[in-house]
Amino acid sequence: MRLTVDGQSFDIDADPDMPLLWALRDLIGKTGPKFGCGIAACGACTVHVDGQPVRSCSLPVGQVSGAVTTIEGIGAAGKLHPVQQAWLEEQVAQCGYCQAGQIMSAVALLDEVADPSDADIDNAMGGNLCRCGTYPRIRSAIKKAAALKTAGL
Amino acid sequence: MLTPAAMLVLAAPFAIAQESQTPAPAAVDAVKGLSEWDKVYAVFSHPRCADCHVADDRPRWSGAHYGGTRVHAFNVQRGADGSGFGNPGLRCTTCHFSSNSNALHGPPGAENWHLAPAEMAWFGRSSAEICAQIKDPLRNGNRSLKDIALHVRDDRLVAWGWAPGSGREPAPGSAEATYQAIENWAAAGASCPVAQ
Repeated sequence: MRLTVDGQSFDIDADPDMPLLWALRDLIGKTGPKFGCGIAACGACTVHVDGQPVRSCSLPVGQVSGAVTTIEGIGAAGKLHPVQQAWLEEQVAQCGYCQAGQIMSAVALLDEVADPSDADIDNAMGGNLCRCGTYPRIRSAIKKAAALKTAGL
Repeated sequence: MLTPAAMLVLAAPFAIAQESQTPAPAAVDAVKGLSEWDKVYAVFSHPRCADCHVADDRPRWSGAHYGGTRVHAFNVQRGADGSGFGNPGLRCTTCHFSSNSNALHGPPGAENWHLAPAEMAWFGRSSAEICAQIKDPLRNGNRSLKDIALHVRDDRLVAWGWAPGSGREPAPGSAEATYQAIENWAAAGASCPVAQ
């Protein structure tokens, strides 16, 4: 089957029931998305399909019907995505394992809500768990990213 | 010894009494209709259906693993736009795809996974309340009883209730049996149980 990932087309030989995450990491070499729980209950594996966030550990690759974007595809070469930039400026990550998924959910939120309230952030990010407890910094970074994005930076 | 004529005279009052005790046809239909409604209520009130017909915008999880019914984790909600498809950044379809996960505690799935419209909420309501609601177009998605029967028989998300994946109790009966029960209930006058 053919998958479009981060703007590139890939031909892969995969069982349609294989989770998308397996195809991304093991067949395509995109190791940015992480395996956390395997049951869509932690968010570490979050990627986008046609701009919408999905838990790639639970989405069968045979059901992927659009372009996949991973954490490796949101920033152009030499220019970070505003969410990535804000993540650095706020020094969000501690261990960092969940952050690829956190960032992908935050990107999806800001694509629909330019200036999110605390409630908007809570509603968008509730499925992304961080065992280090970086939630206050995640909230700050999303607000900073919103400002960066609005300013076109 | 009584003559045949005398026997007829003596028997007549009993025959009349028996006739007067025979329920009128409408009453027979009401009883039959209520028994058909009971089948429909058993489905509509089952967790596989009711858990997403919620008034507080938060779907429920039910099952042996959960020790009863609880609010869906992850701050999952109907969505600020009222659509029933979740919020920006966390849609129902972020985790629920078009088929059930085979993993223990993995997300169930069916096409178009979302909450029922708010006006169609009936989680926790009684049989009498749900029955009245199903007949009210303002609270049943503006459907006729025939529309409801067809919705139950043909909608693929509704159909998931009878095929919810391993580890989840399916709704009782089948889509076809529930369709027929709604048809029978409607044909019998669509009577509702008396509120307790």
